Amino acid sequence: MNFDKLKDDWNKNEPVSTEVSENMLKLKEASTPIDQLRKKMKYEFFGQLISLILLAFIPKLIGFTDELKNIYILFYAIICGFMAYYFFKFYRFYKHSYDLSLDSRKNLLWFYYEMRLNLELYKSLTYIVGFILLAFSAIALFTIKSDLSSKILAKMSITYIAINAVVTIVIIGVITELWATSYYGKYLKRIKIIVDSIDEE
Amino acid sequence: MRYTQEEFLSQINEHKGIIHKITKMYMDNALDQEDLFQEIVMQLWKAYPSFKGTSKFSTWMYRVALNTAIVFFKKDNRKVDKPPLNEQIEIADTSDSQEKEEKLAYLYKAMQELNQIEKAVIFLFLENQSHREIAQNLGITEVNARVKLNRTKEKLQQIIKKNGYEF
Repeated sequence: MNFDKLKDDWNKNEPVSTEVSENMLKLKEASTPIDQLRKKMKYEFFGQLISLILLAFIPKLIGFTDELKNIYILFYAIICGFMAYYFFKFYRFYKHSYDLSLDSRKNLLWFYYEMRLNLELYKSLTYIVGFILLAFSAIALFTIKSDLSSKILAKMSITYIAINAVVTIVIIGVITELWATSYYGKYLKRIKIIVDSIDEE
Repeated sequence: MRYTQEEFLSQINEHKGIIHKITKMYMDNALDQEDLFQEIVMQLWKAYPSFKGTSKFSTWMYRVALNTAIVFFKKDNRKVDKPPLNEQIEIADTSDSQEKEEKLAYLYKAMQELNQIEKAVIFLFLENQSHREIAQNLGITEVNARVKLNRTKEKLQQIIKKNGYEF
């Protein structure tokens, strides 16, 4: 196979193409893996915001005592604080522009680590909220005297409650990992394959 | 330095052949090629304010266009009838230019079996870039660029041979 001859033919061949018009610059939004990840995160942000609003109504819906309500407000405020911090980070990721004129390796590594960092941030937020809610449940159960907590403690042993706590943590972990992998992980996986192929000696 | 939309469009139209070659190489059907074409044009337009003019427009364009193509993934849910790789390409006329067309058509088909980086390497080679320029564009060492190019050429040869064509 004569590659020099092929090169000549390649350079002599000018593909027939339509003019690039002004409209083409406004046609659609960007869809690199980063853009797709950002789009999904945007939708999820609204979902998390709705969950946060719904969480505010829990004391009323379940009928917390005044004492429990005060503790709940404190925990709720901590959740809001963490969420505000993470939402700010995600917002910066959402707004941060990228430079495709870097060399391909730098560009790929930027995409990969930026996506990975935000995916880990996303997972840690889920864990934090899960743990705060679990901690609140423990306090509500063991320190606040109420009809519900007395009933639960009378029926269940401490070992059973501890096992339940461990199982809940494991379930939160598995669901978070599975959700992040299936919803966001495919982009990361594809980019990783390309990063590996450029680094291959 | 401010650039106008008209200047950008005029530069792009002058070099749009580069984008077309990249889209044909990275995507195997017309719809995906069109999507990639639009994506590249849009990314070039977005990145245009950062073009300082210290290098040639085409040099800058190669990078942005290739980097876009490398990370561009076609839509998963789109069903397209793809011709098999070893399908005969019908060329009625046997003149020299038709033979060249046929050769390039087989080349584009064979390129579909290369990975994203191999496509970039062979594209830059076909666009007359030296090992050094290939290395600079991809961000790898010159030695690695040489090795990658040789491996890609071999792989391409094997694919073309496997599909019953030789040139």
